[in-house]
Amino acid sequence: MSFLVLENVTKRFGGLVAVDAVNMRVEHGEMLAIVGPNGAGKTTLFNLINGVFLADEGRILFDGVDITRYPAYKRAHLGIGRTFQIPRPFASATVRENIAIGGMFGADGNEIDVDHAMGMADHYIDLLGLTPHRDKPAGRLTPVEKKMVEIARALAMKPRLLLMDEAMAGMNPKDIDGMVDLIKQIRETEGIAIIAMVEHIMRAVVSLAERVLVMHQGAKLVDEPTHRALTDPKVVEVYLGEAGEARHA
Amino acid sequence: MGAARKYAPLLPVLGLYAALFAIGLLVPGKWQLIAQLVFYCALGQAFNLFMGMTGYVDFGYVAFMGVGAYGMAVTVSSLSDKGLGLWLIPLGLVHAAIFSILLSLAVGAVALRLRGAYFAIATIGVNEGFRFLIEGARLWNGSAGIIFSRNMKEAFGREGAIEISTFWADVLVFAVAVLAAVMTMVYLCSKVGYALTALREDEDAAKVMGINVTRYKIVAFITSAVLAGLLGACAWALKLTYVYPADVFEIHYTVEAIIIVLLGGAGTLLGPIVGGLIYAASKYYLAVTVPGLQLLIFAPIILTIIVLFPEGTVGMVKRRCRSTVLERFIH
Repeated sequence: MSFLVLENVTKRFGGLVAVDAVNMRVEHGEMLAIVGPNGAGKTTLFNLINGVFLADEGRILFDGVDITRYPAYKRAHLGIGRTFQIPRPFASATVRENIAIGGMFGADGNEIDVDHAMGMADHYIDLLGLTPHRDKPAGRLTPVEKKMVEIARALAMKPRLLLMDEAMAGMNPKDIDGMVDLIKQIRETEGIAIIAMVEHIMRAVVSLAERVLVMHQGAKLVDEPTHRALTDPKVVEVYLGEAGEARHA
Repeated sequence: MGAARKYAPLLPVLGLYAALFAIGLLVPGKWQLIAQLVFYCALGQAFNLFMGMTGYVDFGYVAFMGVGAYGMAVTVSSLSDKGLGLWLIPLGLVHAAIFSILLSLAVGAVALRLRGAYFAIATIGVNEGFRFLIEGARLWNGSAGIIFSRNMKEAFGREGAIEISTFWADVLVFAVAVLAAVMTMVYLCSKVGYALTALREDEDAAKVMGINVTRYKIVAFITSAVLAGLLGACAWALKLTYVYPADVFEIHYTVEAIIIVLLGGAGTLLGPIVGGLIYAASKYYLAVTVPGLQLLIFAPIILTIIVLFPEGTVGMVKRRCRSTVLERFIH
């Protein structure tokens, strides 16, 4: 059985079907990219996987456990970590405390006391190059640094599946390359499955993901190995419009 | 980090209370003033444990003090002839704690499902509702209240009763203040404190980080309520030897608690103590020097402090002392 399984998962907001009967699978240690234009339902799908929202229909299985009705904190204990598109560090806490909080309450939280978590935090501070900012309140960092704190915090939770919401949005090409290398490194050293959500930065998708799932209007459009997915005519149409349309314009 | 170093911020707090206690004992005629100061420090600290740490404003907070006062009053008035002697007081404190726990569970089960402003609005009704329940249902003597000075004399003797209400009740307020400080520090140094910080800053992100926010909110809510119950039992019931619903369910005290926490610095250990001292001392001296105009002068002072130091006076000092030797002692 796959590591993460979504069966016919649907989420509605009033009359709007944000996620429409999506089926997907993720294997241990796999790197999957979810792409799709704005409003395609990617963030809602993430929120359903980690429990910010509960699905209206369908089932979600994680490592063989049916987590469909689990609240977010229980899913975190099972090993689902997440970063937000707009970083949400705990502003008044220091960088070190932010990351330690991840360790304290994450997958191994019950066995980790405050001092141990602080020690773990130092490891991730090094890994993400945050050493100069260790004791600063996280609210005072630059957006890119906040993003690093967010990733460090998620890693300190010792997840087995990490959901990365637009980790590279708003970054310059140099920072994007750095982030791509970082994600590769994380995947190798931590051995976790990663689902990354990407809107436009296809270069990153190509160099990172093994498989791409394209969403469009809440539904799964294409689910293929990366190169095949990105050259699929349906995907090209969603992103660029039909060839015919372009000619008319 | 060793335990001694972790709990170092308690030292200035305990030192301050020891100094206040000594002044009260040694300087003639100052005991009542000191007792008043410490009452406000304790109130601020107890309130801070929930409001300061979670960011939730509980407008019904004084109800916990009220039921605590009733816990003590009911105990003394109904058991004074049982020959329990001084054991009546701990028993009264236990009842105060139980009453406030029960009320906090009832309020928390409903109101803690709400967030931010909605929580504040929902709790406004608690205090008034409870007061009208007591008055309307004639619970615990209804609006006539419980007057138990006679029972105090019966249980502790004439001299004993006077000594308890003029001295030992205030000593117990000191004890509640110290207990509140210790609880605050224990929480700040443990996972509870980190969980509360996280949920105060961003409740959804906290959930995603694996924090069972409901559990930690309830822990802080009950702790804060019990401290309020004990404070009501000591500073009101035991000290005044009567309890009227209109006096103890007075929203004014909740507002004072909010002001104290904001003046000092929410979520800090020292903040509510400094806030309590500033508040109570200015209230006292303004009432003496400019009677009748004290609120008119007091309001701009509070506004100025809050505008100048939005993180509270202690928050400001804490920021100034970052990376100095003092840092270790200020929390």
